Amino acid sequence: MAAGPYGALLDAVGAVRWPARRRVPGGGPGAHQSRTRGVAPEFAEYRPYRQGDDPRRIDWKLLGRSDRAFIRLAPDHAILGTTFIVDASASMDFPRVTVAGEGHRASGKWELAKRLTIALAAVAHASGDPVGLTVISSQGTRRLDPRTRAGVVADIARTLDALVPDGSAPLAPLVAGAASRCVAITDCLGDVEALSAALARHRVRGGEAHLLHVVSRAELDPPSVAVTAVDPEDPRCERPLVVSTREGYRESFAAWRAEVSRRALADGIAYHEVHDDALPEVLVRRIVVPPGGEWRR
Amino acid sequence: MTLLAPLAFAMGLAAAAVLVGLHLLTTRRPPSALLPTARFVPIVDARAVSRASRPTDLILLAMRVLAALSIGAAFAQPVLDAPGPRVRSVVLLDVSSGVADGAAAARAALERLTEGGAMVLFDTAAREVSRDSLGTVLSRSATSIGRAPSADALRPSRGALSPALVVARAAGSRVARGADSVRLVIVSPFTAASFDAATAALRTSWPGGAELVRVGAAADTARAERPRLVTSLADDPLVPAIGQLQPARGAHQVRIVRGIATAGDSTWARGAGSVLVIWPLTGNAALAADGVTALGVHLASLVAPLARLPVPAGELVVARWRDGSAAAVESALDAGCVRTVGVGIPLAGDLTLRAPFGEFLEAMVEPCGGARGVALPDSVVAWLERGTATGADGRRASDSPQVRAARRSATPASLLAATGVPDARLGAWLLLLALLALSLEWVLRRRGSR
Repeated sequence: MAAGPYGALLDAVGAVRWPARRRVPGGGPGAHQSRTRGVAPEFAEYRPYRQGDDPRRIDWKLLGRSDRAFIRLAPDHAILGTTFIVDASASMDFPRVTVAGEGHRASGKWELAKRLTIALAAVAHASGDPVGLTVISSQGTRRLDPRTRAGVVADIARTLDALVPDGSAPLAPLVAGAASRCVAITDCLGDVEALSAALARHRVRGGEAHLLHVVSRAELDPPSVAVTAVDPEDPRCERPLVVSTREGYRESFAAWRAEVSRRALADGIAYHEVHDDALPEVLVRRIVVPPGGEWRR
Repeated sequence: MTLLAPLAFAMGLAAAAVLVGLHLLTTRRPPSALLPTARFVPIVDARAVSRASRPTDLILLAMRVLAALSIGAAFAQPVLDAPGPRVRSVVLLDVSSGVADGAAAARAALERLTEGGAMVLFDTAAREVSRDSLGTVLSRSATSIGRAPSADALRPSRGALSPALVVARAAGSRVARGADSVRLVIVSPFTAASFDAATAALRTSWPGGAELVRVGAAADTARAERPRLVTSLADDPLVPAIGQLQPARGAHQVRIVRGIATAGDSTWARGAGSVLVIWPLTGNAALAADGVTALGVHLASLVAPLARLPVPAGELVVARWRDGSAAAVESALDAGCVRTVGVGIPLAGDLTLRAPFGEFLEAMVEPCGGARGVALPDSVVAWLERGTATGADGRRASDSPQVRAARRSATPASLLAATGVPDARLGAWLLLLALLALSLEWVLRRRGSR
């Protein structure tokens, strides 16, 4: 999928790999280190033979030298299913006018969410992982189950392009049906506490949880003209954003983002705050790198 | 228009400027804009102050500015300037019978009366006349002033400067509003009768010189016969006093009746130039230390044991007790007059032989309306012209004509208008205008809030 509006982006992340943050449970053969040992050519360790082991895995040379039977173990590799939960609520459609072409930076939260989803899906799919999508908006929940077939990334792109963010719906219930790697892409202005708790439970169950917090530059530094700020998801929430309240707004918003980040990290969730004025391919490279550059065992 | 308290108007202007400034600040609700993070904006009043490029609510602003300016102007005590020349005149015209040619005096006064000026006519009293009624008053005066007492017997022969100066000072304050300077002009024969004890002080109340126009005085050239005394007392104390009298100025006859006048006396008093003096007798028991002053040409004062006798209400008071009550009055009777003297004198003693009593007696036997033609000394006239407080001794009478002309120059209006009073009616109108503007503002504001 080197053509289309996302061609340049996909080309930019073509060589990127997204290793699991820790060993994955056993499954089909894949690119991620598995918790199980297999019979791969590379040696890992020896284990004493136990009844029931395949006799073909006995290291006969070692048996001849030591007169004890050992099994030769090698690291196993498995696939890691990835599900993207994308927030398509009205608050994601900000700023409303976004014209992003090839090679241009995403100029809005929704545009950035789409590009991050497609780029990360392509990266995961390139590793042979099944990728799926769950997106929720006022039009309902659209679900694409994790697949490894060739056109799954294009399906994800088409699904996202067909959506117009609107309404407000909770994301937390969607986590339960997610694959091992669950990536939530949201502005956290909905049920962030419930979502964070659900992702924490998902991680406890052995899964991998990512929370990509999408923030617009216009939210960080709103225009200096005096306006009455209206919440698109709650029109009753009207606040005067003027000179006297601007600094208080910045402080409150920063404190809230810091609290969301702190809580997510404390729950073992891979938290990333992404801004809509950043290049998606740069963000992708930052997201896929595990903490410390190595896997947690 | 002149503002006596310009600071108040300046405060009104400042208030108007503040109002305009406030109307440049709008407290409207800012335009709405979507912001997903609106919940993080502090909760304050939804209205926010912003600055507009042009004032808002122009009609309300106009009403408020009008009210502020009107209140400021009202408290600034405005005085409307009278239209006319910048140099105005206050002309004092003597219309007493002491003026020989009243028409000439009137012409001289009118020549010096400027537009917006004031004309004050005076004899023993003074009154300001308007320019409209001036012609009528002067034509009537011209037929009377300067004529013999026979024609207008009780027209005062004395043109008193003191009341005229009092009226002139008040008129000067009014005329000075809107003028640069005010000139004082006095048209009079300046006889001795026009100057009294208060004249000097009143003259200094006018700050500056005066132009004196001296007109001819009606003089009594004839000498009267010695008064005839009708008394029942053989040793009436007036007998020697009358014997010492100098022949009075004027062609008149005097009959002094010590008691009740008879019908014959009254008939006699109706004749031209007849002066019937009724001077009742009194006993010594009623005498008490007292003082009496004769008015008229002879300003004679007499302090002695005297008795106060009742006098009828006369048309002209010719002598007063020291407390101001009438001591002698004069009433016209056809071509003559009857003068009643309520001053009881002791029947014994030498009071009537003393000089003060002689002067008092001379005043009592003057012609009807008083003697005329006794001119003021030049030194006093020069002092009247100068008007400084150096006294009426004429010490500066030798000044050059230029200096004298400078003294006659007009008085700066600021010296006179300082005592001016604000136009209360104009202030009231301005306050009413402010009230009207505030009422309209209230109505407009209520209508706008609906």
